[in-house]
Amino acid sequence: MTTMTARERVMKFLKGEKVDRPPIFSGMGNVIKPVLDKNNIVFSRVHRDSELMAKAAAGMYREFGYECAVVPFDLGVEAEALGAKMNYYDEVEGLLYPTVKEKSVVSVEDVKIPADLKNAGRIPIVIGAIKALRRELGDEVAIGTYVLGPFTLAGQVKELDQLFEESFLEPEKTAKLLETLSEFIIQVFKVYQEAGADYFTLREMGGTSDVMSPKSFKSLIKPHLIRIISEMPRPSILHICGDTNSIIGDMAECGADAVSVDQKNCITDTRQKLGQGAIILGNFDPIKILHKGNANDVGPAVLDALKGGASAVWPGCDLWPEVPSENMEALMKALKSV
Amino acid sequence: MKIVQIAGYLGSGKTTLIIALSRKVAEAGMKVAILVNDVGAVPVDGKVIEEYGLTVKDIGGGCICCQVAGTMIRTLETLAKGPKPEMIIIEPTGIAVPESIRQTVMMNAGKTGAVLGPTIVLFDTTRTDKLLTYDTLKRLVTTQIRDADIVALSKVDLSSADATDHAERAVRELNQTAKIIRLSTVTGEGLAVLADQMREVTVQA
Repeated sequence: MTTMTARERVMKFLKGEKVDRPPIFSGMGNVIKPVLDKNNIVFSRVHRDSELMAKAAAGMYREFGYECAVVPFDLGVEAEALGAKMNYYDEVEGLLYPTVKEKSVVSVEDVKIPADLKNAGRIPIVIGAIKALRRELGDEVAIGTYVLGPFTLAGQVKELDQLFEESFLEPEKTAKLLETLSEFIIQVFKVYQEAGADYFTLREMGGTSDVMSPKSFKSLIKPHLIRIISEMPRPSILHICGDTNSIIGDMAECGADAVSVDQKNCITDTRQKLGQGAIILGNFDPIKILHKGNANDVGPAVLDALKGGASAVWPGCDLWPEVPSENMEALMKALKSV
Repeated sequence: MKIVQIAGYLGSGKTTLIIALSRKVAEAGMKVAILVNDVGAVPVDGKVIEEYGLTVKDIGGGCICCQVAGTMIRTLETLAKGPKPEMIIIEPTGIAVPESIRQTVMMNAGKTGAVLGPTIVLFDTTRTDKLLTYDTLKRLVTTQIRDADIVALSKVDLSSADATDHAERAVRELNQTAKIIRLSTVTGEGLAVLADQMREVTVQA
């Protein structure tokens, strides 16, 4: 087999085609301090500047050979586009991701999908970053992007306790809200595709069995995931954090090209349930292994995920920015040896 | 440095309790830091912070996963190097699973010398049936109760004796070993006992 570019490897892999080795990549936020420091990028600024965002994302490939460039890095882009006020923690010392300070929705009538979506909130920043990445990286590296799933997004724009109670007492209201948010999510994915993104991760952390019973996941959330996945660009990945062991079958039935799980998922069982043909991504603990672990332990830990049944190794969630260089290098070395 | 988590579903009274408890603990001479997921929501002004020697730090909110975990670890390390509080009270988001928070905070225990105090989970006695029967709530609330070392039955001043007994029975059914304390931040019932437990009990060194 002739040598593949990183982009070819990722794209063929996600389409289920033969590749020389599993790609080493992620579909979630992965910007780390060695890259930020080398490029003199302040963390709180990287979320609000297309060029900085692109530079940071490209830096993971340039510095470490990580076979992707993924934007954005935080989980507030969609909520902000829908009118939520954000806290960027400019005045706080240390690394804090932007979070929602003021929610914008009480009922579905409050959800207004922006007529000019490409200019709503920070969506233009992400679009700009994707375009900058495409210019800089050309056909070399796959550009990934992600959008929150409808229930997780609902929790960002509406008070959580109201959302949980309404979903039980007036499920039809919640269903309408999730339906409208699903339409918004599809549109966001499409503008990112138009900008040049290659692969697309739908992140529905709110669906975890740590928080939501499998029965509620199936009735409340799954139908909307099915719809989004049928209309969003491909290749698509469905990611849910936390305990997904009881819902992994439902996750697969949502129809994405791949599923992504975290360290709480028993990947051996998942492989057995989904079969050899399924693309399963995961599932090392990004904090315990990559951030806090010793470099010598990183390789065995990530290889364990492959041995357990992962099709390619993904972290269980975003990379915490303070991953030491040597740990990232150890990850790359181990996974290139496969 | 002892780390105590005060968890519990949204609206159970965590923030109010944390302020009351941190003052009590500080009054007993301990230096206290509070980690909250939204400093803006904490009714602690500069005067109170100065008077009681409290340190209040933001750990961000929203997602319960790695973005907050990393911030928490970093903040604990910074506190261990700098102000060196004797007690750190963590208020995670109301949909956090206490065991996940415990695992996160103890990741750096060797480096910071931190020990783990009791995990206190608040359970709102005015909403027992809602919290334990609504299909979209009960899994999380049940998990939180099961992860607790201490369950504080909150808002007992607003509940009848029967309602409080009912809440206690329901909690006991879910967790046979946790200490259960009846609490009201309005009347002060249970505060002294909780503060003592926080000071005296070490769960993991």
